[in-house]
Order: sequence, then C-alpha cells, then structure tokens
Amino acid sequence: MDLLVQGLLLGGLYTTTALGLSLVFGVIKMVNLAHGEFLVVGAYLTSILVALFGLDPLLLSIPAALALAAIAYPLQRYVLSPVMQRSGEAPIIVTFGVAIVAQTLLLLSFGSSPRTVNAPYATMQFEVFGVPVRTSLLIATVIGVLLVFVLHYMLYKTPFGRRVRAASTDPEAAGFVGIDTKHTYALVLSIAAGISAIGGTLIALSFAVSPESGTGWLLRAFTVVIIGGLGSIRGALVGALILGLVETFGSAWFGPQYRDVIVFGGLVLMLLIRPSGLFGKAVRA
Amino acid sequence: MNGITGRALRYGVPTVVAVVLYFVASEVRLSLVTQFTSLALLAVLAMAWNLVGGFGAQFSLGHALFVGAGGYTTVVLLDRASLPLFLCIPLAGLVAAILGVVLAYPMLRLRGPYFAIGTLGISLAVLGWMLNWDFTYASRSYALAPSAIPSFLDLGRVSLVVALLTLLVVLLIMDLPLGLRLLALRDDEQGAIMLGARRVRTIVPVWAISAFLTGTMGALVAVQAGSVTPTQAFSLQFTLDAVIICVIGGLGTVYGPLLGAVVVFVLRQYTADFSEWSLLIEALIVILIVRFAPLGLLGLFQRLFKQIWRSIGFRGPAVNRDAKTPVGAAQ
Repeated sequence: MDLLVQGLLLGGLYTTTALGLSLVFGVIKMVNLAHGEFLVVGAYLTSILVALFGLDPLLLSIPAALALAAIAYPLQRYVLSPVMQRSGEAPIIVTFGVAIVAQTLLLLSFGSSPRTVNAPYATMQFEVFGVPVRTSLLIATVIGVLLVFVLHYMLYKTPFGRRVRAASTDPEAAGFVGIDTKHTYALVLSIAAGISAIGGTLIALSFAVSPESGTGWLLRAFTVVIIGGLGSIRGALVGALILGLVETFGSAWFGPQYRDVIVFGGLVLMLLIRPSGLFGKAVRA
Repeated sequence: MNGITGRALRYGVPTVVAVVLYFVASEVRLSLVTQFTSLALLAVLAMAWNLVGGFGAQFSLGHALFVGAGGYTTVVLLDRASLPLFLCIPLAGLVAAILGVVLAYPMLRLRGPYFAIGTLGISLAVLGWMLNWDFTYASRSYALAPSAIPSFLDLGRVSLVVALLTLLVVLLIMDLPLGLRLLALRDDEQGAIMLGARRVRTIVPVWAISAFLTGTMGALVAVQAGSVTPTQAFSLQFTLDAVIICVIGGLGTVYGPLLGAVVVFVLRQYTADFSEWSLLIEALIVILIVRFAPLGLLGLFQRLFKQIWRSIGFRGPAVNRDAKTPVGAAQ
C-alpha cells in the first residue's frame, strides 16, 4: 500500500516533467534531446530566484518558466525550424548540441554539486490512514494533473489550439489559410519549455538536481511519452503513473541500486514491443 | 579521384604517413607520443561512429557501450586470463562487435530519434548494471597489474596502427558494394529497397565493424588509463565526442572525422585547464555547423578551395561541379 501511494505520487511528478516533451513530440514531430536540460535549467533558474527574493519556489517558478520560454522561442524559430526542413537528423543534432551547451553552462556557473530548492514543505510528510505521503510529491501530482487539463483544454477548445493542431497536421495547408507555422511552432516550444521549468522546480523540491542529471530525466520523460502514446497529453498522465509504479515496485523488489537498469531497460523494452504506446494504434515508428 | 591511381593514392598516402610516424615515434619526446595517442584514439572513435551515424544515418547515442565493453574485456582478459596484450585488443573488439550484432537486430527496428533514444537507453541501462556487477568489482576501480601496462611508445604505436587500419577499413567499405548500398539507403530508402538493397542486412555488418573498432578503441583507452571504472569506461563523454567530432568535421565523409578529431583535439589542448569551456565551444560550433554548414568543416574547406581554384581560372574537375550532395566514397 505504501509502495502504491509512493509510486502514484512519483508518477504525478513525472507527469509535469514529461508534458513538454510530449507536446513538442505531438505538434512539431521532433524529439527534443535537450528536454532534460530544460528541466534542469528551469530548476536552477528557480533556485536562483529563491536565493534572490526568498519567496515561495512554486510562485517563483512562473518567472523562471517565462524566462526559459523566452530562450526557447528564438531557438525554435531561427535554428530548429530552418534545419527541420532540410533533414530529419538535423534537429536531433541541434537539440543534442543545445543539451551540451546548457549542461556546460550550468557546470561553469554553479559547479557540479547537486542542488535542491528549499521550501518549508519540501521535506515534510504526513500520514493518511497510516500511509506516509510526501507533501512535495503531492503538490507535484496536483500541479501535474492540473497542467494536463489546462493543456488539453488549450489544444482542443481554444482558437490558438486549433491553429496549433492545424500547423501540426498539415503545415503547408495551414500556411495557405494564414497560419504562421514557424511562429506557432516556436510558441509551442516556448510553452513546452515553460512547463518544463515548472517540472524542473517540482523535481528540485523532491530530489536534488545537478548539471548532469538532465539525461536521466530526458529518458524518464521519453519513457512516459512512449508508454502513454506519442504526443498524447492525457496519455502522458497515464504513462507517468505507470512508470512511477513500475519504478517504485521494481526498485523495492530488485533493490534500489537497480533503479536505472529497471527504468532504462523498461524504456528499451517498451520501444521494441509497443513503440506507439500501450493504448496507441499500431503505427510504424 | 577514381580509377587505379586514385585508389592507390587514397590507400597509399595514409599508409606511408603512418609508417613514417611509426618510426619517428621513438625519436620524439614522450609527451608528444602520449598526446598523439589520445588524438589517434579520438579519431578512431569518430571514424567508427561515422560509419553508422554518418554513412548509415543511424544516429547512435550508444557507442559509449562499446567503448566500455572493449575496455572491460581487455582488463578482464589481461587480469584473469593473462593473455598477451596484442591478443586482448582484437578480442575486446570482437566482444563489442558481438554485443553490437545482438543489439542491432532489435535496435534497427527503431528509426531516427527512436533509435537515438533506444541506444542511449541501452547504454545507460548497461552502465547501471555494471555499477552493480560484482564480477567486475561493481562501481570500484578495476586496476591492471603494472606489468601488464605497455610503455607509452608501444601504446602510441599500437594506437597509430589501429587508427590506420580504421581509416583503411572505412575506405574499403566505401569502395565495396556494401558502402554504396549504405549510402543509397541513407539518401533514398524507398528507392534503394526497391532496387534490392536490404536495410537490416546492409546496416548490421557495418554496425558490427563500427562496434569492433570502437571496442578496440575502448581497449586502448583502458590500457592507457591502467584501470577501469564503470562511470569512466561507459562515460557518455565518448558518445558526445564521437558525435561532436563527426559533425564538426563533416558527417558522412571519409576524412571529416579525421579533420574534426584534429580540430577538437587542438581546441582541447589550448583549453586544457577548462574542459567545460572547450565542450561549450564545441557544442556551439556543432549548432552553428548544422545550421549554416551542414557538410562540416570539410565541406567548408572544399567550397573555399573550389572558389580559389575558380578565381585563378581553374575550372575544377567537370564531374563534381554540379554535385550538390557529398558523395562520401569519392573525395
């Protein structure tokens, strides 16, 4: 029972961390290898703001999200969108390069020691019917679920969402009816970066982040997206909960030192068996 | 450069250079030999990755796995079986190649970014496993006996030979029908398949050769360091190096990885105390190259030379003038 709750809460945290990747994947059809660094940079931005202003980290993650979004916009507009038209491999290399740049910048500015974001509720836990619940993970879960609903509403119920979906399904036709696809794609990457900044803050509330931890989070987010189905926003929630459960139960059975083997091995298995997600239709990946 | 003379030049010149270097090595300072060893190893890694990542367009992020497998194989063989070093190195390559073939069949079902993430996942999963495997002392350092470590000079010479062989193998593959099929599959997969090229059958042997070469490189790295730990031997840094060097030099060209290795190596020498700065500059160059000069430095130089030739009235070989895409084989 403890494990079940722990797993679900961990999954709740994974939801926010994977949403950005899923959004970019679904709309721009691009795998953002810098996604892990978006999360980590977001966490660092928030921790700087907390050190400066001493306000609540969740509140300060909003300006951090805006800052990261402001960096992401020109990246998509002036670097990624132009190379995407040329070949499928180019955006992989560019986002890979961006990931290294972000990592080294963090290393140069803050050193390699892990960092956490401090808040009064970061280490607190309480008991519900005798089951311990970590407050920070509960907050992460609530925010994750909220973000899933907001994002889903935004994509399917607003004019902006219609433009995004049009630009995603058929960029050329969308261009004919007056949608600026490059602007739209850039906005989508900005939104993804903003969500990732919040996700990174949530990570830093519960665990420590270091400049190198981005790769691990990228793979976790990717696993979530694969389990939940490519580009599906609601799928990300399901995928995150499943991964959280698998990781928690797996490391309880095999020992916590095999956590990475379980998660990354699970990712590879999932890619091979059902690359279109547990609930997805059979699509060639 | 085609025909018999071209071919003789392409294979002959590197061989002669290597032979000269081999005999010069004993006459120069030892620090220079050590530096050259590192450069040669970087070049081997990049050329091996380029076979799959450049010519094959399979963006592998898992080559650190082969480096680590080669390194650990060598150390285990030297330590537990006390085989001579010159046997251990090809055996390390063989183990990496077998591992590569075993992984290739499931991995090649994935494409593009999926392949990249899948290979990255495998590489990290194996690292996670090695950190816990008692047979290789888990996360602790597995050191070689001092007697098993060759002298710097010998190591430099072996690295030189491995680098030469790697270049010759790359040249040979690209001269064989196998290389043509590989390029055809990269440039137009549907068309190539329709003409009878089989995707998996073409890529698997190339992938195995790439893994073999990377494994030998890992063996030399391990011997050079004198010990292995999982985090060092399976370090993602190797994968980063390979990708960065190939993109900077020229992805999917024969000499691009060589050029890239020299550029990156020199850059690292100048920023030796600030390795993060060097990596930062390299990554920025990578982004700029992909954005503005997708053929890498080699492509830039070729364009520059062509313009210089033209401006002094030489029109250049007629066959190549209209070529828009680089043909990796004939350069």
